[in-house]
Amino acid sequence: MPYRTVDRRRMLAAAALGRELEPPKLTPGDGVTLTALSGRLLDISPHLIIIEDDAGVERRLVIAPWATAWRGTGMPPADLPLGARVVIRAVRSGAVAERIWADATRITGTIREVGGKRDLTVEVDGGPHRRTRTVVIPYRYSGRIRVRHPQLEPGYLFDAIGLLDHGTPLAHIPATSQPPYRASAVPPPPPAYRGMQSKISGTAVWADLDEPGVAYPMLETADTGCGDAGVSCTGLPYLALGSMLYVRNVCDGRSCALPVVACGCVAGRFCDRCLECGTSPRGRIVELAPTTYVELGGDLTKGCFNARVGLG
Amino acid sequence: MLSTIAVAVLPILVTMLALGAGAKLTTAGSDATPGGLGRLGPAVLVPDRFHKQAMIVCGLAELGLGVGLLTIDHPAARWLPAAFFTVATYVLWDLRRRRPDVGCGCFGDVSATPVGRRSMARAALLATMAATVATAEVTGADLLTGLSWRTAAWLGGGIALLLALSPEIEESVARLRYRAPCEQRTLPPERALARLRSSTAWRAHAPMLESEEPADMWRELCWRFFVFPAREGADAVFAVYLSGRRPAVRVAVVSQDGRPLTSLPESMPVSAGH
Repeated sequence: MPYRTVDRRRMLAAAALGRELEPPKLTPGDGVTLTALSGRLLDISPHLIIIEDDAGVERRLVIAPWATAWRGTGMPPADLPLGARVVIRAVRSGAVAERIWADATRITGTIREVGGKRDLTVEVDGGPHRRTRTVVIPYRYSGRIRVRHPQLEPGYLFDAIGLLDHGTPLAHIPATSQPPYRASAVPPPPPAYRGMQSKISGTAVWADLDEPGVAYPMLETADTGCGDAGVSCTGLPYLALGSMLYVRNVCDGRSCALPVVACGCVAGRFCDRCLECGTSPRGRIVELAPTTYVELGGDLTKGCFNARVGLG
Repeated sequence: MLSTIAVAVLPILVTMLALGAGAKLTTAGSDATPGGLGRLGPAVLVPDRFHKQAMIVCGLAELGLGVGLLTIDHPAARWLPAAFFTVATYVLWDLRRRRPDVGCGCFGDVSATPVGRRSMARAALLATMAATVATAEVTGADLLTGLSWRTAAWLGGGIALLLALSPEIEESVARLRYRAPCEQRTLPPERALARLRSSTAWRAHAPMLESEEPADMWRELCWRFFVFPAREGADAVFAVYLSGRRPAVRVAVVSQDGRPLTSLPESMPVSAGH
């Protein structure tokens, strides 16, 4: 079904139901979102970082004395290679960089093929709307990946955080404990006896989304063209591309309203819990773009935060 | 006396075996992992890859025992169910000791609550019933001849006792009483479109539409939205509520620049609430 723009949908729905077009204003209780920047690293010194952001604008940030960087492993910011794709968490109105992740990528999906003896090569299907990616698990990291992914076989789920090295994703850190079931046998959601809750708690993760916003599992196939949509092991309500969600990082107390921009069909298949601060209820509710995830206080190397999503 | 009791409990045993077999086979046949993450029944005691097969074998065995009890006049057919339920009682006791988080799976997915004393007492009661049937040497043919008020009383008592010992009753009542909220149900767009076309709002706005087919359609919670191209480049958007016999239909005509030409005074938020 063609649609002009997602923004127009929101406006049309607002007109039909007589609601405000703007999402509810955030209150002081919603916390302050951090500033996140992403772009290509142009130059870096121990005290200054220069990047070209996604809009093509050159940005200069002071590097805080306590700042740390990650590129496969923790390192001083000045050691980052030029040309790396970075995501920066910045404070002081976005002028001071305090955490930098370089070439971070996340490989989430269903294992299609496993090959190799020393360095493992895993083909991961990221769902119909994302391409199949071939990830390499270097021998050095295969132990820690296999501990959390005991079933490294076709049909099982895979989720790891890694490094994009010359276009090849290298898995470094397992992002979760692998679910014990096959991707085709997702447990059904618990029966909803007491009507729809206006707030749903669960796990928020990050994914390599192209635009800021969230990927949400419970979308209609006709709406998204994603054949695997509409699967979730949490009782989630149906929404559409363009719907606004109020996402709150329960650990950090930061929140913001975000549009649904993609189908989260892979996220819906994970019934894991996030243990960032206490134990979250089962199930991934949303996948966030890296910058959005960082703005809400998430750490890209940790992979998830306990989240609460408001629906109205 | 013993034969009266045996005639009364025989239909109970056969029904329980048939229900157990049917529920287990249905659960094993569904695509999802039996019991979801909690796992189900004694099948968890066997390796992962045999879970489904173990459940199917158990279901088929129950079906065979039920049919045998009813049709075969041989001591083996009568004592096998007694042995089966005795073993089941032990297995449930063992399951509770080794995996206290696992449901008994006696009736498939419905028996997801962890094994408790009631489930074990029920298995023991069924073993006693089966032993009574075997001792009295009753078969399916005796059912027709042995009917009496006393038998009916024993039958009623047996059923009441089993219901009292069944933790599945609460779960089944809850499942029958409540159903998934409209926001979570899969509802075909054709039905909403048919409801829209029979509404007053549609008849009032139909003359200004340029096409009978929606240009865009999406669903948000319990509302389905249809957008139709209208005259002078405007869009007519209809919102159809997806629950109820006479669902609410809202309409607005929006110009190309986003200015609503008609709108509703009251607010009805459906997303992005705190």
